Amino acid sequence: MLKNYQPFNKKKVSRLRTALNSCLKMANNDIDGTVIVSEYTKEKKVGEGTYAVVYLGTKQSTGRKIAIKEIKTSEFKDGLDMSAIREVKYLQEIQHVNVIELVDIFMAYDNLNLVLEFLPTDLEVIIKDKNILFTPADIKSWMLMTLRGVYHCHRNFIMHRDLKPNNLLLSPDGQIKVADFGLARAVPSPHESLTSNVVTRWYRAPELLFGANHYTSAIDIWSVGIIFAELMLRIPYLPGQNDLEQMDVTFRALGTPTDRDWPEVSTFSLYNKLQIYPPPSRDELRKRFIAASENALNFMCNMLTMNPVKRWTAAQCLESEYFKEIPPPSDPSSIKIKS
Amino acid sequence: MEGSDSKSVSGTVQEKPANYKRISDDDLYRHSSQYRFWSFTPEQLEQKRIDTNAQAVVSVEERLSAFRDENNADLTEEEVKTLLEKAVPVTMEEEVKLVNFYAKKVQGIAQHMNLPTEVVATSLTFFRRFYLENSVMDIDPKTIVHTTIFLACKSENYFISVDSFAKKTKSVREAILKHEFKLLESLKFSLLNHHPYRPLHGFFLDIQNLLTGKVDIKYMGQIYENCKKRITEALLTDAIYFYTPPQITLAALLLEDEALTLKYLETKFKPKEEEAETETEVDEKKKNKKVEDKDNSPKEDKPESSINYDVLLSLILACKEKIIELPSVTMDDAKNIAAKLYFCNNPMKAIANSKRKQEESVSDSGEKKQKI
Repeated sequence: MLKNYQPFNKKKVSRLRTALNSCLKMANNDIDGTVIVSEYTKEKKVGEGTYAVVYLGTKQSTGRKIAIKEIKTSEFKDGLDMSAIREVKYLQEIQHVNVIELVDIFMAYDNLNLVLEFLPTDLEVIIKDKNILFTPADIKSWMLMTLRGVYHCHRNFIMHRDLKPNNLLLSPDGQIKVADFGLARAVPSPHESLTSNVVTRWYRAPELLFGANHYTSAIDIWSVGIIFAELMLRIPYLPGQNDLEQMDVTFRALGTPTDRDWPEVSTFSLYNKLQIYPPPSRDELRKRFIAASENALNFMCNMLTMNPVKRWTAAQCLESEYFKEIPPPSDPSSIKIKS
Repeated sequence: MEGSDSKSVSGTVQEKPANYKRISDDDLYRHSSQYRFWSFTPEQLEQKRIDTNAQAVVSVEERLSAFRDENNADLTEEEVKTLLEKAVPVTMEEEVKLVNFYAKKVQGIAQHMNLPTEVVATSLTFFRRFYLENSVMDIDPKTIVHTTIFLACKSENYFISVDSFAKKTKSVREAILKHEFKLLESLKFSLLNHHPYRPLHGFFLDIQNLLTGKVDIKYMGQIYENCKKRITEALLTDAIYFYTPPQITLAALLLEDEALTLKYLETKFKPKEEEAETETEVDEKKKNKKVEDKDNSPKEDKPESSINYDVLLSLILACKEKIIELPSVTMDDAKNIAAKLYFCNNPMKAIANSKRKQEESVSDSGEKKQKI
C-alpha cells in the first residue's frame, strides 16, 4: 500500500523542494553567499582540505543528496591541480559498489567542482565514537567491502596510495566506499621510479618507510591490514610520531625484517640504523587481539607481511578462510552505526 | 565427507550461482572509459565527424550570411562574389586533414621536449579526441596544441610547471591554460589511456618465453624499439578507434617481423592438430566476429582457449591495413585549409586578401610594362 503512494509523494515533495530551494537560494544569495550552480546547490560546508572545500548539496532535477568537492584552482598557478586530475582520471574508470561514485564535474567561477555521491560518515568517525558498538561480524563485513573495492582498483591496475579509515566512507545503506583518489596512480612499469612519500604515516608499508622507489599495489594491502587491526583494537595500531619513529613502532610490533624472509632488505640505506626486534610470537598476537580467531589472525598477518612479494594480494585476502568461517559478515544495511 | 564441500560449509559460503562467471580482462577493458567513450565502428566514427562538422558549418554559415546582410550596402558586387567564393566553411575531409597535420605537430613538439613515450602518446591521443568533439572552425588547432601536451604531462604524472612549459615551447602561460577546462570537458573527463606499449612489453616477454632458444635476445631488442615507433605512428591513424591496444601491438609486430609474429601466434593460439576444428565451425565463428571483439562466444575457464586463432589473425591483418594508411598531409594542403579556415572566421580578410592580390597583379603587369 505504502509503496503505491511513495512515488507520487516523492515526486511532489522533490518538486516542491526544488521550487522552494531556488526561492531560498535567490533570497539567500546575498546574505550568506549560498550560490546556485546550475543543476547543483551547495548547502553546507562540511570540510576543507589543502586543495578542496567540500559542500553538501542537492541535485536539483532529482532531489538526490550529493557532495561537491570544489577544487581551489585559483590557488594553483599551474592550471588544473594534479590531485584533482588524478581524482577525475581514476574515478572515471572505476564503477564499483565499493568505490565512491563520481556523479558529475563542472566548472564554476574558475573552480573545478567534482560532484560525488553523498556519504554521511566514515570508518574513522565510527572507530573514534566510543558510543558506537560494533561486532566482529560488522568488522568482517567492512573488511569484505573494503577489499572488494581495493581489488577492483588493483585489477584495473590502479593503486590508491592513501588508504586509511578516514578514506573509507559509508553510504546510508551501510556500503563501504573507497574514496579520495588524489594520490592514486597506475601500477608502474618495471623501470618507473616512484615517490615513496605516499600514504598517511600510520598506514605506510615497510617498503615505503625504507624509501623504496619501486613498489606495487601491495602497499595498499598493508594499509588494509593496519585498518583491520585498528577496527579490532579501536585505537590506531601503529601510531608513530614521525617517520623515523614509525619504523621503530612498526618493527617493535611486528619484528624487524631480515634478509632471510625479505632478501636484500638490509641494503636499504636506512636499515643499518634499525633496532632488530624479533617477530611477535603467536601468543603475543593472541593477547593483543583478544577477540580475533586464528583465521582472523592469519588474515591480518598475511596482510602485514614485511616482504611485499610475499604479502597477500587483494584476491588472496578475499579468498581467505576468515571470510568463510563463522560469524558470516553482517548485512551492510543492518549495521547500526548510530549511537 | 567426500563430495560434500558446499554442504559442509553451508551457511557461511553460498554456492556459486548458475551464471557465475569470473570477470575477464576483456570485461575490464570494456568498462574502461577508453572503450566506453572512444571506441567506434568505422560507421560511428564517420558519423561523428560528419555531425561535428555539420554543426560548425551551420553556425559559420549563419555568421557569414549575417555578415553579408549587415555589410550589404558597403559591399561591391565583386566583394560579395569573393565572399561567397573564399569565405566558406571547411569540409569534414578538410577538417580531418588539418587535425592530422597538427597531430603530427603535437607529436613533434612533444618528442622535441624529450617527453616520455607515454606522454607523447597521450598528447596526440588527447588532441585527436578533442577534434572528434569540436570542429577546427570552433577552436583553431594551433591554439590547443600546447594545452594538450601540458594536460597530458599532468595526466601522466609528469609534472612541468606552466612557466617552464611556456619557456620550453616559446608560448605564454595564459594561452596554455585558456582552454584547459574546455579540453578536459571535451575529453569527457576521460584521461586514462591504455596505450599499446604495455602489451608490447608483455608480448615480448611471452615471445621469449614461448620461443625460448629460437629467438636472439639482441635482435628482439631491436624489434622492440622499432615496434615502439610503429605504435606511436599507429596512434595517428583511426586504428586506435577500432581496435584494442593489444591488437594494435600485434599488428605492429606483424609489420616488423611477420614470420616471428605468425610463429608466436600459431604456437600460442592455434589449436593442436587433433583438436583442430572442422572448417564449418571455423567459418561459423568467423561470421560472428565483431570489429572490437576478439570473441563473442561464452568464455571458458582457460582464458587462452577463448581466443580463436583464425578470428584473431583476420582481425590483426585488418588492423595492420589500417595502420599502414598513415595519413600524410602536405604542408601546402594544410596551408590551404588553414587559409580557408581563417577566411571563414574573418570574412573581411578574405576581401582584403583578394584585393591585395589584384593590386599585386596589377602592379606586376605595371612593372612588366615599364620594363618593356
